[in-house]
Amino acid sequence: MSRESILNAVRKNKPEALPLPEIDLNVFAEDKDLVKTFIENVQFVGGRAIVLESTDTIDAKIKEFYPHASKIVSCTTESSLGNISISAATEPHGLESIDLAIVKGDLAVSENGAVWIEENDFTIRVLPFITNDLVLIVNKEDIHLHLHDAYETISKRDRTFGLFLSGPSKTADIEQCLVIGAQGAISLTVLIL
Amino acid sequence: MAHAQEATTFNENESKVNWHDKALWFVRQKRDKAAFNVKGWETLRDLASAIKANVMSNLDIYLEEFEANAIKNGVTVHWAKDAEEHNKIVHGILQKTNVKKIVKSKSMLTEECHLNPYLEANGIEVIDTDLGERIVQLAEEPPSHIVLPAIHKTKEEVDELFQEHLGTKPCNGDPQYLTDEARKHLRNKFLKADAAVTGVNFAIAETGGIVVCTNEGNADMGAHLAKVHIACMGMEKLIPQEKHLGVFLRLLARSATGQPITTYSSHFNKPAPGTEMHIVIVDNGRTEQLSREDFRASLHCIRCGACMNTCPIYRRSGGHSYNATIPGPIGSILSPGKDLTKHSDLPFASTLCGSCSDVCPVKINIHEQLYKWRQIITKDVPQPIVKKSVLKVTGNVLANSKMYDFVGKSSRFMLKHTPRFLVYSKLNTWGKERELPEVKNGNFDEWYKKRKKNE
Repeated sequence: MSRESILNAVRKNKPEALPLPEIDLNVFAEDKDLVKTFIENVQFVGGRAIVLESTDTIDAKIKEFYPHASKIVSCTTESSLGNISISAATEPHGLESIDLAIVKGDLAVSENGAVWIEENDFTIRVLPFITNDLVLIVNKEDIHLHLHDAYETISKRDRTFGLFLSGPSKTADIEQCLVIGAQGAISLTVLIL
Repeated sequence: MAHAQEATTFNENESKVNWHDKALWFVRQKRDKAAFNVKGWETLRDLASAIKANVMSNLDIYLEEFEANAIKNGVTVHWAKDAEEHNKIVHGILQKTNVKKIVKSKSMLTEECHLNPYLEANGIEVIDTDLGERIVQLAEEPPSHIVLPAIHKTKEEVDELFQEHLGTKPCNGDPQYLTDEARKHLRNKFLKADAAVTGVNFAIAETGGIVVCTNEGNADMGAHLAKVHIACMGMEKLIPQEKHLGVFLRLLARSATGQPITTYSSHFNKPAPGTEMHIVIVDNGRTEQLSREDFRASLHCIRCGACMNTCPIYRRSGGHSYNATIPGPIGSILSPGKDLTKHSDLPFASTLCGSCSDVCPVKINIHEQLYKWRQIITKDVPQPIVKKSVLKVTGNVLANSKMYDFVGKSSRFMLKHTPRFLVYSKLNTWGKERELPEVKNGNFDEWYKKRKKNE
């Protein structure tokens, strides 16, 4: 079996044990306006982020941004725009014609404009990728300074699938010209409550 | 063919070389901007380097821990000692699940193992879904860069390729139109694929989970639509705990493209209900590299490509000139470990300026390793007679001050008075592709003595 031979070779060839370093978070501490920095970073990566005064305005705002969206999946209680319901039994391929998906983010990261979402938040794994446009909703107080802080929260959970999502799908593979909308969602809007 | 000759071929199209050089330098500048924006950037690099060193020194323990946790998560774990076994394992899974079509997201490991031709020979359709990778797949070429696989192609070339293979309209290389067409083409492939093959950016021992990073979302489109997900990982991709992702994900995209993080950093821990997830752990020469004290730090590499973007040789010779899966500075220290004879020229494809080491997010001493490989190669691999004799004579001249003085004087005289066609002839390699400096009278020694006298 290759497993044993590989492990034996590693045991024979590895260097003397070296310690695992401690991460001193004080080095990365910064006094920043988390919401402002987050919004700037979302814009930098090609998305759009705005602060909403109250949950009441969510649906109007989404309609304003996506007036032509007709097939909408909403996985949040904050928006009532969803007209296609999904469950764990939904066939992922059937989501190909979805115009818009609305998902509640668990937390966000100020330093890079990323939002953390988990399978529980969107039920079908392919949803945030296969949808044409994507709206994420996050609470102001869930915006963390950096990834170290974010992992403090998410690494304690028992998870199946989750991701940091930062901006719309993009590519620069043709002559380094940045094009938004490669294989995943073509646009991303983050609404901050 | 040797790197220098391949580079000469690449240099025949001067405007393209200049474009290649500038495009990569632009990415390098974006990297700088991104890095300078992070408080504690150097601490992050130190941490990443030390974490990787810890991983290498406990690799067997972490591998076993990772395997046990992945199995607990419902993932099937496979081990491959080399490329052949890796390909057989992947093919075996596909056969068992009766798969005929697969979508692949970019993975340098599967390139290293030549998985595509192997599967194709066995009647399986393989579609690369990263746009750059799809472009080179259509052109039947290997990637020329590990992050920007089609960086050597102009948009007009992509235009022609797409017309021929995807039936697009001529568009003067409009990137937006071409990307949109590729999106339609690939969506169709995603929807019809039976299995998805992805690489692994990080594997976490503590949880048995893996992280895959893309900007296009292609790994996710593949993995979440297909019933079978096969993730292929080099054994060095392990990190101890999830919190260490905080260090590596902060470094990876900033070093690669200047983005603060990739668009999608997907954490796969358990397969979705009704689907299968497999992880293939691959050695393929890595344990041997681990045994080489001087070179084992090359296994710390997180494949960001920063060393390539900054390298003055890579930028002006193109990735294909390296004739290796991983080109550029990091490839030049990894490849000789695999086949010293085949890749003996690569450690010489460097100015030893150290820029590669300066930008490396995990602080691999790349230029020092290049120098160390050179020492081994000049001892073990027969060198061209001209190079050998020239170096020997140079050594003698440098060791003898009178001789040095004499040679210096006569060289300056000759450079000044010899006709141009003789100076820039085949005999003088220093005159190749460049103008030699204007000759002034006297050398440093003479200038210094004169200055002393006048004091």
